[in-house]
Amino acid sequence: MESSPISSINSLDVTNLSFSYQGWAGEDPPSLFENLTFSIPEGGKALLLAPFDSGKSTLGRILVGGIPKYFPGTLEGAIKVMGHDLADIEIWDLLDVVTLVSQNPQEQFVASTVEEEVAFALESLGLPQKEMRRRVEDALTSWGINELRQASNSELSGGERKRVLLAAAEALDAPFWILDEAFDDLDLRWREHLARFIQTTDKTILLFSSRYLAQFDRLFDHVFLLEHKQVCRVDTEQAAGEFAILSGDVKPNPLAGRSFEHLHRHTLSVSDLVVERQRFSASQAQRFHLQVPTFRLHSGEIVSLVGPNGSGKSSLSRVLCGLDEPLEGARMIDDEVLDGSMLNRSVGYLFQNPDLQIFLPTVKEELSYSLRRVKGLSDEEISKRVAECADLFELKLSHTPSTMSYPKRKALQAAVYYLLDRPFYILDELDTALTYHSALAIIGHLQRNGAGILIITHDRQFITRVGGRVYQIEEGRVSER
Amino acid sequence: MTMNTYLSNTGWLYRFDPRAKILLLVLLLGWLFLPITLTGLGCMLLVILFVALSNPGPRFVLSTFTSILPMIIFMVLFAPFNVRSGTGLITIRSFVLLTEEGALQALRLAIRFISITYLATLLFATTPMPEILLALQWYRLPYNASLIITLAFTYVPFIADGFARIEESHRLREAGMHVERKRIGKIRSLIPTLTSSLVLALRSIPTLALSLELRGYGRANKRTRYHDLSSYRRTFTDFLISGMVPVISFLVFKA
Repeated sequence: MESSPISSINSLDVTNLSFSYQGWAGEDPPSLFENLTFSIPEGGKALLLAPFDSGKSTLGRILVGGIPKYFPGTLEGAIKVMGHDLADIEIWDLLDVVTLVSQNPQEQFVASTVEEEVAFALESLGLPQKEMRRRVEDALTSWGINELRQASNSELSGGERKRVLLAAAEALDAPFWILDEAFDDLDLRWREHLARFIQTTDKTILLFSSRYLAQFDRLFDHVFLLEHKQVCRVDTEQAAGEFAILSGDVKPNPLAGRSFEHLHRHTLSVSDLVVERQRFSASQAQRFHLQVPTFRLHSGEIVSLVGPNGSGKSSLSRVLCGLDEPLEGARMIDDEVLDGSMLNRSVGYLFQNPDLQIFLPTVKEELSYSLRRVKGLSDEEISKRVAECADLFELKLSHTPSTMSYPKRKALQAAVYYLLDRPFYILDELDTALTYHSALAIIGHLQRNGAGILIITHDRQFITRVGGRVYQIEEGRVSER
Repeated sequence: MTMNTYLSNTGWLYRFDPRAKILLLVLLLGWLFLPITLTGLGCMLLVILFVALSNPGPRFVLSTFTSILPMIIFMVLFAPFNVRSGTGLITIRSFVLLTEEGALQALRLAIRFISITYLATLLFATTPMPEILLALQWYRLPYNASLIITLAFTYVPFIADGFARIEESHRLREAGMHVERKRIGKIRSLIPTLTSSLVLALRSIPTLALSLELRGYGRANKRTRYHDLSSYRRTFTDFLISGMVPVISFLVFKA
């Protein structure tokens, strides 16, 4: 373990930090961190790479005082943020000191509109109205969300939500930013925008990531690996290689050399589909139509769908799996037009946010839920399938989903669909917060019986690893690239 | 974690001063429980529906009605049987099943319920939440109380939205074509959906509390206001209308 050289003023000093969550029902959970020590000098740009389920988001919350205050656990050690000892300061007094942008942007929204969200913290600072208006305008413009200022949180896409949080951070102008997987959900344009911001700003940046993205090259002067409950500093030039080994990304691609020639082939297709999306609370950009002249997904193949934030990727997915009806056009499997309820049972849709799809008290109950509704399956058979599935996805049957890490919850979400064995799957930003290898492994599991898979992602490296055809959305139209 | 209840549009109610709008809401809510003729109640409901149609629009009217429809059906089916005296409308041998008074009472209750629902939802659909907060504070409601009220009215739709998403998730998790789909099974499936919504709501409490503190809620300094109500330039007229409408309609329709 190695810490950064002692500078006169550090934005962050973490000394001998150990933490474990409070156990439930007599369970004694393992610690997440043990004697973790590192520091970041003022103005430093630090990247903390960590495989999924290693406690990045927990560390982020600890560094802003949110843990153990709101999420009980045992915390030891000392943390100083911009010279303030966290033990002696309230969270609200850190407002103009440190900003946290959460991995799951939805959980951070407290106001009813985009504009109000950006302004809320400025009101807390007690800034004059004129100054607030200037900062809000600048931030909304900077992050390209001016026309969404009256939109509600629920009307935004994942990438738009993330940009709102980044705009709120920019308006607040705190000297230290903690960005938890901030590049996730952003499309290429906004990833490059964020990278430029990190490069040019005089603020201290600590970015948590579970993948080494192309945008990270030469962006950071400190790179840390979170490994075996501790943080160690690595050479910036070798960070990508070392992390690839740590996260398993150097392992053979689980999807390589797969062939499903022997399978009975099905095709999910659409003809002249028009998908509508409305934002009821926004005065501008109230609705848009997405045209899908043609789209085909065959059994055994993996197809990617790319497009800017808010271009309608999730709206199209909802129509393809039958949750929403299209404005025009038809959805077919093997050229037979299907209605919503038939599509519900043929196309598995893994939402961007796993929390909306897992809700039972234990992993075991979650995995058993659908199997128990299948006629003719004995309890022994259900238990056997559930246990095998849990092993495959590295899940513990007794664990409580609501206390599991975000990537583990994503793995559980995928495991639920694995047991359903659908002929088609739509994976909405599955790669968010997962390492490449773990995301590819999940795809491999879901495709075991030759399912056709549509992947929605913003990550070009991920698309390269997945392979296959690519559809793109440009100016409200889907076409094959 | 919160959701907007505001529906963007340009009707006259959107330009009505929120302070006067709150006064009008309170007075009309009281008006509905005054001794008013059934005709008067019916007329008031028609006016409210007309205002709703000409402001947020037909989609709002329909969605609000759909959301309260089960309650209205329940009310119309069971309320008449609470009134046993009066002229019999439906009798089975010597047993009076439904009286005229009972039917009128049910109608009165239903009109009141529908009117109250539309009045309350119209306020939130036509007024941005920050302006409601400012208006409440203008009535000397402390900031914390105003914030809690406005948060509640944005948090509840968030939970409702969560319920809808969980329901969708259950639909997608139906096991297959050979699944058991008896009516009792469908009713039973509501239990995990409701449980899940509750879990979602409970789980979001510490996260929402943390998010509020991260946004500076709790600081000792005085909060300033990003919004103000200075764009409403007919405050006196709006207050006058808010006072006159309930009074005149009471004088016209009092029983």
